[in-house]
Amino acid sequence: MSKRVFIVLMAALLGVSCTGADDAYPIGDPVVIETPLGLPEVPVPKDSPLTADLIALGRRLFNEVRLSSDNTVSCASCHNPALHFADGLAVAKGIGGQLGTRNTPTVLNAAYSVAQFWDGRAATLERQAGIPITAANEMNQSHEACVTKLSADEEYKAAFEKAFGPGPITMSRIEKALAAFERTLLSGNSAFDLYKYAGNKNALSEAAIRGLQVFTDRNKGNCATCHVIGETYALFTDGKFHNLGVGMNSSGELTDMGRFNHSGVKSDRGTFRTPSLRNVAKTAPYMHDGSLKTLPEVIAFYMGGGNSNPQLDVEIRPLMLSAQDRNDLLAFLDALTGDIPSGEELHGRKR
Amino acid sequence: MTHRWVALPLCVFLILVSACSDKSNIEPDADEPAYFKIDPNTAGMIAGNVIFKGKRPAPKIVDMDQDPQCAELHQQSVYDDPVSVGSEGSLANAFVWIKQGLDDKKFEPPTDPMVIDQKGCWFGPRVLGLQVGQTFKVLNSDPVTHNIHPLAEINREWNQSQSPGAEPLIRKFSRPEVMIRVKCNIHNWMHAWIGVVDHPYFAVTGPDGAFQLNNVPPGKYTIEVWHEVLGRKEEQITLVRAGRSETIIEFKGE
Repeated sequence: MSKRVFIVLMAALLGVSCTGADDAYPIGDPVVIETPLGLPEVPVPKDSPLTADLIALGRRLFNEVRLSSDNTVSCASCHNPALHFADGLAVAKGIGGQLGTRNTPTVLNAAYSVAQFWDGRAATLERQAGIPITAANEMNQSHEACVTKLSADEEYKAAFEKAFGPGPITMSRIEKALAAFERTLLSGNSAFDLYKYAGNKNALSEAAIRGLQVFTDRNKGNCATCHVIGETYALFTDGKFHNLGVGMNSSGELTDMGRFNHSGVKSDRGTFRTPSLRNVAKTAPYMHDGSLKTLPEVIAFYMGGGNSNPQLDVEIRPLMLSAQDRNDLLAFLDALTGDIPSGEELHGRKR
Repeated sequence: MTHRWVALPLCVFLILVSACSDKSNIEPDADEPAYFKIDPNTAGMIAGNVIFKGKRPAPKIVDMDQDPQCAELHQQSVYDDPVSVGSEGSLANAFVWIKQGLDDKKFEPPTDPMVIDQKGCWFGPRVLGLQVGQTFKVLNSDPVTHNIHPLAEINREWNQSQSPGAEPLIRKFSRPEVMIRVKCNIHNWMHAWIGVVDHPYFAVTGPDGAFQLNNVPPGKYTIEVWHEVLGRKEEQITLVRAGRSETIIEFKGE
């Protein structure tokens, strides 16, 4: 075999892999997503720059019921824009009213999550997007069926070609479009953000300011240890996985092993991703199983030191909070409600 | 020659017998432990009264301000009265049990659960006894979250949150332990005590200070009386066949 043949072969291989990548590489001018006060610049993967056409396609797909097997459920069914991109239910409801086992997390600010799902089993928004589609109790449809259904729609074919250039509709293109749209669903500019990051000392009530103290004081609420507040922005999460003992049955056994189901690491038993607390007052019920109905219940749960189990996080211990501490904390959590993108308007402007 | 013909069936027979006898040895043990059968014709009763003499500590008003929802559940002040003394010095909430004398007898745990309720941000009952392996059922009748925490030292320590309306907790204790202090991790004024015993001979005195241990086999026993403030006292008892033992156990105040 000559050198020439080898080079041709390598080139062919490279060509194939490049075509594979290009196949789902958005065309057109990238846009910049405006960063709301209190949030960092939204991370965008190198192989999927945000373009207006891509975001518009993603928005359309987000509301597309044909992604489900019986054409009844879209992403927006559970991630309802009117309900802060959550569903207000304890656990998700899929096709035919089938119930899942976990609480629907809001998509707002999901772009900042180090990993998606309560157990972090998807590393990116792209990887996440395809998973509820095939889940039997969510949308229950194969990726092939999604592609076939959408390919039969001339409007979709045109929209995909506008976003990606010529080529067939692929799952990779669907996932990238959905993820691009989700990267525009940012919510900041809350009363807390105005207070902390814009120097507006009147933005928070006296109670909320005291609540911020309770939130950050390690000897009081100790909340900020995991729901982190930074110097220049606040994601209200450490991006890590913790065990609080939530989801324990009456006999004291954990009913959902969380991250352990995927990692197999013993210390991951019963651990779940720390959710952001932005808009928390609007996204009841709470915890990975939606078992706590109100924020006062959540505070009481933490005051009790969670539920004992071998993997209980070291930071979870009984808290001594006075009645005023609790009310102040509630006032603070209320001040984390931010501006909400409707999901209708196009976010971002041309670079 | 004949020996051979005998030997083979004999081997088979022996194997079968040994297999059968193995089985008959193991099965009853595994399925139903050899519980002691109380003979009603010889069993007797240990009865008594626990009394208190002296100056009792005054009941203290419970401050529930830390959780106004708890305070709202009460029309009047709530008093914590650990040394609850009735007429003629009768002492309530004393835990009485046979500490020694039952040797290795094993007793079947009752199927009825022992229930503790969290009501009015208060544990009821304050003192309760249960048998090893008996179901311990925890209710939350309150509109607030509780977090019950038995501070067990011999058994496994645990705590669990119960939101309003949450279903009862169902637990068991696997070893004898007299007593286990119980607290609520959220409301520091709530406390209760659990006595876990590996036989059915225990009682908690009511307002009349009286107790009865029924169906006790005849024998020599050490009974112990425990009280959360006044401590422990022991008493030696001899119970004759179908007999009745009466005793008065006295605690003294300062």
